[in-house]
Amino acid sequence: MNLSRRAFLVFYRNLVSYKRFVVPTLVGSLVQPVFYLVTFGIGMGAYMGAFGGKPYLFFLVPGVLISSVMMSSTFECLYGAFVKMIHEKLYDSLIATPVSAEDAVAGDILWGAFRGLISGGLMMSVAFFMGVFPVSIPAGLLLCVLMILIGVMFGSLAMIVTSYAPNFDFFNYYTELVMTPMLFFSGVFFPLDRFPSWMKTLSQFLPLTHAVEISRAVYSGVYPKSLVLNLAFVLALTFIALRVGVGRMKKRLIK
Amino acid sequence: MKTIIKAENLTKRFGDLTAVDGISFEIYEGECFGFLGPNGAGKTTTVRMIHCVSPITSGSILVNGLKADVDNRKIKAMTGVIPQEITLDNDLTVFENMMVFTKFFDIPRREARRRTDELIAFVELEAKRNNKISELSTGMKRRLLVARALLNKPALIIADEPTTGLDPQARHLIWQRLRLLKNQGSTLILTTQYMEEAQQLCDRLVVMYEGKILKEGSPRRLIDDEIGREVVEIRIDAAEDARLISALGPFSCGHERAGDTLFFYCRDGREIQKKLVELDLPNTVHRPATLEDVFLKLTGRSLIE
Repeated sequence: MNLSRRAFLVFYRNLVSYKRFVVPTLVGSLVQPVFYLVTFGIGMGAYMGAFGGKPYLFFLVPGVLISSVMMSSTFECLYGAFVKMIHEKLYDSLIATPVSAEDAVAGDILWGAFRGLISGGLMMSVAFFMGVFPVSIPAGLLLCVLMILIGVMFGSLAMIVTSYAPNFDFFNYYTELVMTPMLFFSGVFFPLDRFPSWMKTLSQFLPLTHAVEISRAVYSGVYPKSLVLNLAFVLALTFIALRVGVGRMKKRLIK
Repeated sequence: MKTIIKAENLTKRFGDLTAVDGISFEIYEGECFGFLGPNGAGKTTTVRMIHCVSPITSGSILVNGLKADVDNRKIKAMTGVIPQEITLDNDLTVFENMMVFTKFFDIPRREARRRTDELIAFVELEAKRNNKISELSTGMKRRLLVARALLNKPALIIADEPTTGLDPQARHLIWQRLRLLKNQGSTLILTTQYMEEAQQLCDRLVVMYEGKILKEGSPRRLIDDEIGREVVEIRIDAAEDARLISALGPFSCGHERAGDTLFFYCRDGREIQKKLVELDLPNTVHRPATLEDVFLKLTGRSLIE
């Protein structure tokens, strides 16, 4: 892979253009997760009693936070990248400079991760107001690192989808058939223990499951041994998806 | 003359389609070199291989001694590309578009500001400096593309159909700027379907068709060799061909029938003109030969799709 520091220049380009969209995108990425927190957390939480000695919100926040990272980075690398590739021809102008196709795509994945971090960070602040904090300040910082990692993972996965997409409608397959089910089978809203075993097995193949497990551990400061497996899964998938996503997009950009 | 680009047996295939079919050419430093051809002739593909955004299937290109497909970043750093499509950043202003681009070439900030201001003036866009791209006309966008391509002070400028869709004023402004750049010593590569553009700008050119180079030379020489100096067009029914050819043939160096028109190519049209008066034909045009005649003769007058 012909990757260089120029990926960060592509990130910088996105940052410059982002200032025009800050407000609408912040509102956009805030509304849905807050909606989850209020309806599930406060509304349903009232009936749920305590989870491991803490209110339901403490269970819910780490999961919703990581899913909002997933949503933001995915959408940026689906629709955002597609618009840049097909409609604005932005990649064409980037790769005519010393920026390589790999730099351009990696820079955009990084950008997707950053958008995820912003969404997750917003969630964290909203959770503050609801009285849900990470266990310590270092844990909070660690969460930010985790959000970037998870953002890169889902951004790269989305890039793979984008590299095959003939048009916008194609993305519906991914968002409706993969993302939405994943949201409900990854233990974001309720624990997986009571699922039938085949469903538990299935959930172990969903990247969001592992991301949520790690997020929950960092939030609570309780690190079970199985966390190593979660982390290994996330790191391995991130590495593979990044390579495949960048490679596939390169093939599409450089013909 | 120093060779800046040397291509040998250059070939590009997309699956079963051979877009560029084993062509060889040389481009000299400081000249304007044109690729002419109808849609799908392989011009843009060839040029994309020169500036390293399209992998070479086989053959080779040397750009200033650097191998395309290997030293990509170095070649791209010394090349300015005026693209066929408008690839400006719609989210940014004119000034921001330029400044962001300087980053990709590692131009230090102060120098970047200086060059940006200078080039915005060069393409006469000072008044639009802080406007968004969506507020510009097509002509302004194209001018900005020219300015953006010059940010890295390129030794090699590639203009891929730079005036498509422009009104005459905007087109002439771009031509003037490109000539100015050439006079300042840059090497210019131009692809175009506009024969007037090629005649205005190119020192030498090749006519491409179906991935091959049909002819190479200066516009003047190509016209001389292929057509002569003058062309007589006669709009007349094909039934009259035999009669006219026997009457006018001896004074011309070639004739061609295309649709409703019979073309005679000649070095000196005076004799033909006298004959035309004698024959008393109503619908005739007598004009100097142009590159367009060469182009149509080489690539055929029928529609290419």
